[in-house]
Amino acid sequence: MNKRLIACLADVFGLRESEIHPDLKKENVDNWDSLKQMDLVLSLEREFDIALEIPDILRMTTVANIVDVLKEKGVDLED
Amino acid sequence: MKIDGTVALITGGAKGLGLAIATHLTELGAKVVVADRDAEALAALPAPMGRYQLDVTRPEEVRTAVTEITKQFGNIGILVNNAGVIFSEPFVNIMNPAGMMHDYHRFRDSITVNMDSVFIMTAAVVEKMVMTRMKGVIVNISSISACGNEGQTAYSAAKAGVNAMTVTWSKELGRLGIRCNAIAPGFIGTESTHQALNASAIKHIKENTPLRRLGEAVDVAKAVASVIENDFINGIVLDVNGGLTI
Repeated sequence: MNKRLIACLADVFGLRESEIHPDLKKENVDNWDSLKQMDLVLSLEREFDIALEIPDILRMTTVANIVDVLKEKGVDLED
Repeated sequence: MKIDGTVALITGGAKGLGLAIATHLTELGAKVVVADRDAEALAALPAPMGRYQLDVTRPEEVRTAVTEITKQFGNIGILVNNAGVIFSEPFVNIMNPAGMMHDYHRFRDSITVNMDSVFIMTAAVVEKMVMTRMKGVIVNISSISACGNEGQTAYSAAKAGVNAMTVTWSKELGRLGIRCNAIAPGFIGTESTHQALNASAIKHIKENTPLRRLGEAVDVAKAVASVIENDFINGIVLDVNGGLTI
């Protein structure tokens, strides 16, 4: 996985980078609530210089979906 | 936030303090829309101001109004929650044994008008801001009474609630780029103040105010503009009272 994305997710959810993987989902992260979701949105927008829309934000409930959304926004996630 | 060119919705803006705020923001270039119950006062507003007759205690009407205002004037960037009604009733009225205690229904009504309305309006406007990912500013008009004022159980409780909502929303909405602040006027020389207080009470207030005068409506309007314009002010309740509470 992309190192910048891992760093964003680890920072927002207070996880170790080793805990971030594509199968991680909202249900498995204790503090992944609506407020953290907005923190995540802002973090991703800043890091990748993109603008996320409400439908994108609603989809981003798994790391795999976040990767999909970022790719759709033209973000290059190849390290 | 730049005021010039931004759509500003002012509730209770057709008269008194609200009108002073609406006028000042118009002078600074805002596209002001006034929402008020009073059709006659709305009709008397100067031409550049948009107007919308609205009871801010009715959630469905408010949601419809915000949608229509947005369609007509553009996305709302500034909301000033000014609508409210000063209400005074002693908690205990020893001179009225038959109805000695503060009436609960009048308490409830005052809370609805002065606090629930702020929740209802802000929810409708912030929903639009969030859905369009738009930044914005909410300014709640509180009162010196939020500290507790004898004879004003309901009004004081409502304004204290407004202060608490202001701080809560500033914390919760800040990450979305939506700031929330409150202005807490002291005694302002408006018609309602002169109706509510006799000459002796006003003299007493002036003597206890370091600046030795009542405030003017424009003092409050300028405070509203300052918390809108300064993008790093968030979550404050700004006293505008000439130092009365120092």
